[in-house]
Amino acid sequence: MPCDELPDDLKILWKEAGMDQPMFSTDQLRAEAKKLQAKQRRDYLVLSVVFSSAVPSYAFFIYLFHNTLTRLESSLALLVFGYLVIDTLVKRARALPDLGETDGWRFYRAELERKRNWHRGLPRRFLMLTVPLILVALGLAQFFAQVSPFIPPVIWSWAVFLLIVFAIWGPAKHRRLARKYQDRIDALDSAVSSTGQAGPKD
Amino acid sequence: MDQIESQDELYQRVAQEYGAPLARLAYAYEADPELRRDLSQEIHLALWRSFAKFSGRCSLRTWIYRVAHNVATSHVLRQTKGKSVRTFLTLEEAEAQSGIEDVELSAGRAQALSRLFALIQQLDPLDRQVILAYLEDLDGGSIAEITGLSAANVWSKIHRIKNVLVRRFHRGGRNAL
Repeated sequence: MPCDELPDDLKILWKEAGMDQPMFSTDQLRAEAKKLQAKQRRDYLVLSVVFSSAVPSYAFFIYLFHNTLTRLESSLALLVFGYLVIDTLVKRARALPDLGETDGWRFYRAELERKRNWHRGLPRRFLMLTVPLILVALGLAQFFAQVSPFIPPVIWSWAVFLLIVFAIWGPAKHRRLARKYQDRIDALDSAVSSTGQAGPKD
Repeated sequence: MDQIESQDELYQRVAQEYGAPLARLAYAYEADPELRRDLSQEIHLALWRSFAKFSGRCSLRTWIYRVAHNVATSHVLRQTKGKSVRTFLTLEEAEAQSGIEDVELSAGRAQALSRLFALIQQLDPLDRQVILAYLEDLDGGSIAEITGLSAANVWSKIHRIKNVLVRRFHRGGRNAL
């Protein structure tokens, strides 16, 4: 391409771009929409099963271990899991901005905000999970100390691992990501608010 | 039933009329052919669904481009995840960056086009919206309506994008020749 094809000739070049235009029939799209709905329902089901499995587990803990600490933390864990189930379902149900009604800048910003909020919220959720899990480890260590002196160190190692992952590494990573999204939002806002020098109209 | 039929008819008309611009848009947002096919399907599905709600408060063309760009923006953010949210090029960075590759421009229009796509694929989604609309020959008012930017901001961006294109293609040309 010679250099004098700039930049308006690029428009011509652009429109010449011969590429496969995927064609979709409305029946195909309708089937795809149904498939997506089914996938969403399946995801909800899996999520509910995963979270619900925590309930019998901790209920079993309450039944099995008779020390007060384990019972207390199992009850706390049940409350936390219940909260997380509701929180997750509510967040998933929250509608995204309407695709056709929302202009590109607002939609992009809303997406960035949604991602920032997700990463901001994770450390709190991690912490909520860590506290009962650590307490459960405490209770189990106390209980198994009477059975064998070798089991508590294993449980303690597990508790330390949980602490590192959920209370230190995980939150730090997600706060960093949340900051990145916030920086992007700030840059977007400043780019939009500064109108700059209006360029010539071609 | 009537609404379903008109939704289908509208979609068919739009797919026929805007098929090529929508394919170029998908290409400009996604370099990977497999993912591009998914993105195209996502865009078409979103358009077909959205026509059930289209009330004519804005022009059909604005509606189509908004839906397509918004779906593509979501796709890009989903693909890049948090790790590279900052790897999009700002216009300043695009202006400052050296040529993507030293291609023989004399080799033809196809290479020039692939350079253009490669440049656009690096840009921030909002700048992509402006440059794509500009390349599709939309006027400033329509671009402002699609992107939500002020008219002054749109013109400023177009001016800078044109500078980027001139620099990039001149640079590549000089390197190649």
